[in-house]
Amino acid sequence: MWNTLILDPMVNSLLLIYDFLGDNFGVAIIVFTIIVRLITLPLTWQSQRSTLKMQELQQSKKWQDIQKKHKDDKQKLQEEQLKLYREVGFNPLSGCLPTLIQFPVIIGLYQAIIRSLAATPVQLLDLSRHFYPFLPGLASLVPLHSRFLWMDLAQPERLFLPFLPGFGIPVLTILVVITSWLSTKLMTPPSAGGQGAQMSQMMGIYMPLLLGYFAYTYASGLALYFVVSNVLQIVQSAAMGKINWRQALSFGGPRPVKKS
Amino acid sequence: MQIAILRSARPGVLVILVVVAGLLAGCSASGATVASSWPGVAVSDTTAYVAYADAIHAVDLATGQERWRYPAEANRQVTFYAPPAITEDGQLIVGGYDHVVRRLSAEGTEVWHFDGARDRIIGGAALAGDLVLVPSADHTLYALNAESGARVWSFEAEHALWAAPLVDGDLVYIASLDHIVYALNRSDGSVIWQRDLGAAMADTPALVDGVLLVGTFGAGLQALDAATGEVVWTFQSDGWIWGSPSIADSVAFFGDVAGTLYAVDLNTHNELWRLQPDGPVAGTPSALGDLAYFTTEAGTVYARQAASGTPAWEQTLTGKLYSDPILSDDTLLVAAMQGEALLTALDSATGAIRWSFTPVR
Repeated sequence: MWNTLILDPMVNSLLLIYDFLGDNFGVAIIVFTIIVRLITLPLTWQSQRSTLKMQELQQSKKWQDIQKKHKDDKQKLQEEQLKLYREVGFNPLSGCLPTLIQFPVIIGLYQAIIRSLAATPVQLLDLSRHFYPFLPGLASLVPLHSRFLWMDLAQPERLFLPFLPGFGIPVLTILVVITSWLSTKLMTPPSAGGQGAQMSQMMGIYMPLLLGYFAYTYASGLALYFVVSNVLQIVQSAAMGKINWRQALSFGGPRPVKKS
Repeated sequence: MQIAILRSARPGVLVILVVVAGLLAGCSASGATVASSWPGVAVSDTTAYVAYADAIHAVDLATGQERWRYPAEANRQVTFYAPPAITEDGQLIVGGYDHVVRRLSAEGTEVWHFDGARDRIIGGAALAGDLVLVPSADHTLYALNAESGARVWSFEAEHALWAAPLVDGDLVYIASLDHIVYALNRSDGSVIWQRDLGAAMADTPALVDGVLLVGTFGAGLQALDAATGEVVWTFQSDGWIWGSPSIADSVAFFGDVAGTLYAVDLNTHNELWRLQPDGPVAGTPSALGDLAYFTTEAGTVYARQAASGTPAWEQTLTGKLYSDPILSDDTLLVAAMQGEALLTALDSATGAIRWSFTPVR
């Protein structure tokens, strides 16, 4: 089911793009990521809208009053929050479904990139099962040319410079951490403090580090995908006018809203 | 990633992060716990050698007992999948995924090592007089002095070399993932001829009566004039041919990963018979006398009458059988990936299991 619906279409599409673009897998990853992001744009747009609505609600005076009033009674607090959701017509799960739908796409995209690179016998044998029989020409593309700029996309990336013998700079890892951190910061609105602020702060620190670890450890094709995906996320949010530039210029956690 | 989106589902964010991290890590190309290839097997008169994951095991051919392993203590930094080459004095030459080629004594101690490769050693080494030829995923065929491990010459292809070279007199033939078969001068590695077949190759060509037979990923079985590299004839298979053809009595036996086994008459180039076993065939079959032996991914060992393809016997083992089945007198050795036993010895006449070897961790 997973292979039929997600992985096989992605692998074959990625290889077709690779073939069309003159056997450049780095450019193929970039173009393929853009196409997938465009296809899933309605879902991400809906998720972001839901997120922003939630955040607006959390900054409202009514929400703050509830937090203050029932800070020692969590059950009552939850009841009041749900009541408020109903009053304003907000479904707290409305952002979850589009997000959940996107996860298979994200994971499938990653798997398609890694499987297409097929750096080991088991991976190459596995790749042979994913080709559509009506596209016999794809087999002749194997193995893919994994060189892109200074990178071997099938291996973790390091840039070796003549004046730094023996030390490879993990350029893509650095880019992944920066773009992840930036996309988090740019899209973080002023927080109401408390749990939300802590969570935002945690996300802003741990997510870039987690992705950076993946980028440092695994095939650089994955890191390239992370960078492109993060940049597209930032561009998409900018296009929607939802970027918090003021927040981006501050360091540390999100600023709490001043309470009146 | 959808960082901002996750924020709306606060309690689930950590769970989602962990799940995504696990999925990404689990699918990673460099996952340390997942074998990236299948066992490489070689056999001498008295000992079977299996290179798999973190060790090379020397197994007594008569009893199935382990004699030694290298390294003696598990070392996750070192992994082996290439079948060892056995020298005349019973020593082994084997490359690892740590880019190192080692010569081991008959007792399993290191004699020398060569660490000049820049990528993994996936294919087996080949002995050529005082040279040992080692293919590397760094696109290079290394010719080393067999006694010292010093580099004598090297040849660079356009893509990774996963197949052991074939040595015939003064010529060395090697098939590459770059779609090209090369014929090299054994003394200095210079190219005698090269032929682009339009499809990748991952195993050693077979040589019979001046004709090289090589299986390809998508271009079937190709027969080349060994002297010139000209394509003499081709046989189109249903799927990729990973292993080499095995030759007996002017018949080539080979399988494909689509799950078909073929017997092709080398005189007429026509198919004698074919059969559909229970899974993909990746290993090189063994053929001797009246019988042809081959294994499938599904774990079945087949023995078929070479002339007709009619069943002789079948034996089902656990695990995936991608490795080449190897005949040693009346014993058929079969190595399994992810099986209960790593190596199983079968009676080649009946298929009865003689012994199984499972490494003690």
